[in-house]
Amino acid sequence: MNLQPLAIEATPASGTAAAPRIVVRDLDFFYGDSRALKGINLDIGDREVTALVGPSGCGKSTLLRTFNRIYSLYPGQRATGSVRLDGREILGPDIDVNELRARVGMVFQKPTPFPMSIYDNVAFGLRLDRRLCAADIEERTEQALRKAALWDEVKDKLKAPGLSLSGGQQQRLCIARAIALRPQVILFDEPTSALDPISTARIEELIGELRRDYTIVIVTHNMQQAARISQRTAFMYLGEVVEAGPTSRIFMNPTDRRTQDYVTGRFG
Amino acid sequence: MIASHPAGRRRVIDGARFFRLASLASALLVLVALAGILAAMLWGGWPVFRAFGSGFVVSADWDIGRERFGALVAIVGTFSSALIALVIALPVSLAIAVFLTQLAPSALKRPLATAIELLAAVPSIIYGMWGLFAFAPLFARHVQMPVSELVEGMPIIGTILHARVPSGVGVLTAGIILGIMIVPLIASVARDMLDQIPTAVRESAFGIGCTTWEVVRHVLVPQAGASLVGAAMLGLGRALGETMAVTFVIGNANRLSPSLFEPGSTIASRLANEFNEADGLHLNALLALGCILFVITFVILVLARLLIARVAVR
Amino acid sequence: MEATLDTAMSIRAAPPSLVRRRRVADRVMKFACLAATALGVVVLGWILLMVAIEGVRGFSTALFIAPTPGPGSAGGGLANAMLGSLVLSMLGIGVATPVGVLAGTYLAELGGGSRLAATVRFLNDVLLSAPSILIGVFVYALMVRPMGSYSGWAGGVALAIIATPVIVRATEDMLRLVPSSLREAGAALGASQARVITSIAWRAARAGILTGILLATARISGETAPLLFTALNNNSWFDPSLMGGVANLPVTIYQFALSPYENWQALAWAGALVITLFILALSIAARLLLDRKAR
Repeated sequence: MNLQPLAIEATPASGTAAAPRIVVRDLDFFYGDSRALKGINLDIGDREVTALVGPSGCGKSTLLRTFNRIYSLYPGQRATGSVRLDGREILGPDIDVNELRARVGMVFQKPTPFPMSIYDNVAFGLRLDRRLCAADIEERTEQALRKAALWDEVKDKLKAPGLSLSGGQQQRLCIARAIALRPQVILFDEPTSALDPISTARIEELIGELRRDYTIVIVTHNMQQAARISQRTAFMYLGEVVEAGPTSRIFMNPTDRRTQDYVTGRFG
Repeated sequence: MIASHPAGRRRVIDGARFFRLASLASALLVLVALAGILAAMLWGGWPVFRAFGSGFVVSADWDIGRERFGALVAIVGTFSSALIALVIALPVSLAIAVFLTQLAPSALKRPLATAIELLAAVPSIIYGMWGLFAFAPLFARHVQMPVSELVEGMPIIGTILHARVPSGVGVLTAGIILGIMIVPLIASVARDMLDQIPTAVRESAFGIGCTTWEVVRHVLVPQAGASLVGAAMLGLGRALGETMAVTFVIGNANRLSPSLFEPGSTIASRLANEFNEADGLHLNALLALGCILFVITFVILVLARLLIARVAVR
Repeated sequence: MEATLDTAMSIRAAPPSLVRRRRVADRVMKFACLAATALGVVVLGWILLMVAIEGVRGFSTALFIAPTPGPGSAGGGLANAMLGSLVLSMLGIGVATPVGVLAGTYLAELGGGSRLAATVRFLNDVLLSAPSILIGVFVYALMVRPMGSYSGWAGGVALAIIATPVIVRATEDMLRLVPSSLREAGAALGASQARVITSIAWRAARAGILTGILLATARISGETAPLLFTALNNNSWFDPSLMGGVANLPVTIYQFALSPYENWQALAWAGALVITLFILALSIAARLLLDRKAR
């Protein structure tokens, strides 16, 4: 059974046929000489959750990390091809990566609060922008914490160190930190794999709410999670996107044999 | 089209560039300092090297009045005191390292390790004072005098261990004090090396029934191998360059004597004693001594670091 | 069945004399190691005790107020020497800290695996163990000779050269311990590399770097040899311009201890006690700082 390169197959679950936010065409990615992504073609839809799933080593995190050029921190890693955000090519050398990263936020697998107070953690990104005054920063920090469903728990201890929070709270702090910059896209790289089930549920709930305002891409090795929270899913295997489409179809009626094997647990 | 981003303007990157340059410049200063030290010694010592040639190294003269200088006494003193120090310190340091890593009950480990670190933190001038005022008199009375009498007349030992005036100071005393000083250094490096050996290696050796000593001797020490030699060389390098402790207890003689109980001098103690009043060729001779010391310690320290780096996990 | 078991066991059983020999050797070595460690502790105790006993004898309020007495004159204190040492150490650390932290940052964050970084790192470790007297001679040639006189500036520079490698090492080691995920998180928010380093990495490595600075301070507080050729000494208060000799504890102790005057010798011991206490306090503070961070 074979697969098509991926055009969008149906309109996003939200109903309106909005143009895709991120368009990936012929993307190759190299760690040194070894090629980790081969000819990726994918569209990420506006204001919905797209899940990247697949077995370990299939390249889903690698793909995610091209969306905010975080791989540029490491000299041996490079990408060729095209990734367009809102029509603008982001792989080019003339892109201001710092600006890009303010529009494309990222939440990592392990919660990484900075060694500063809760308030300073969220305000950190805001302070990078010279045009914001203290009052603006304060307002947006509170907004972000509210949106991340953390405000009520920390409003009385904003000066406490970020590291004093529990694991789940720390992760929500990291989400607040990213949201404070009002990004257009938020990338989640296995955000709940280090958390307990209750915290996981809260974050999944949070993501469900966030998608109303943000475009979200989430990498997860947990298929049930993908099924729970995403509207579209892309299944990856050995550096290629095997199949992509509405989540329900991928899980219940996949076209490719490998997709079917994966979602039925034949291999992991 | 891209929606205009609210926090669009980013700060100017010049600050980042300045930061990079400042960091690079600071790193280069380290190289500059080392090069500068060598350059200063060479520049200062050059007239003497030119005047005496390689004879400078083997001449035992040190006549300030007639401007005849030779490095032999200082070099011999430097090496003999340092080697004595190493001979004393090596077994003791290894024993301490073994004790701290293998034998000490965990409650004692921390305080003992701290005690050894404190020993390392004591400045050399304190060692010098203790050496001169506490150790030397005892050494004179309980070691130098009886031993001197004992070996009187014996062929080789009689010369090496003969004390004309048992004052407690001398090359051997300096070696002992130096040895005590470098024990904490060698012990802590050896301890780091031993600690890095994976527990699995240790446990498998115990698992086949080896005694602790056998594990140490046949497994751990060979595993740590060259790095322990490196630790010893670090200690040697330190002993070669040590000034204050030696200056107090070596007696500062300009004559070469075959006896370890007799006073001598090292390059460092010579510099400490004579530098401030030195002038002309005398000053150049001292700088030439400094040059020799720098080259010797540089070579030894480089070798030591190479040996340690080969085994250590950075 | 039983026969094979017997043979197996008899092959395994070593001659009792061998076992005994091994056990004795083990015992002897264990004892030797214990003895060596005990020796180390005893020597430490002996030195500290002697410094304490002799030093306390010279203690008085005058110690901290009066300047050093001239040769032959009675009484006196070490106030000028202590103040001078404080000033020289502060100068030294004041220069060494920015240079050391920046250099360490370069090695850990900006230099990457470049050959230059590897060379600097290696030679930094060599400079760490270089004979301090040679550093004194170097600064003499660099500053004292051209300026025509001893000075506190030269002394400070010499101490800075000794302290810098310690701080470089500490900074680099501590920065390497900061997980890269923290840096990525900073970069993911759009912070420049410099910002990530200064606001996040330095913050995270703060305790360790501070410990390095404390240890460097302890190290230079006891250094005598480099000061012999740079700041030398002074019989009274130093000139505010820091030109001319600057009285300092280590050189004062050196000169007084080897002198024939009794009050000078007593002062030397008192000074030795002051230095030792200061260094011990710094070392213990450094240790506490590191422990607190580990918790």
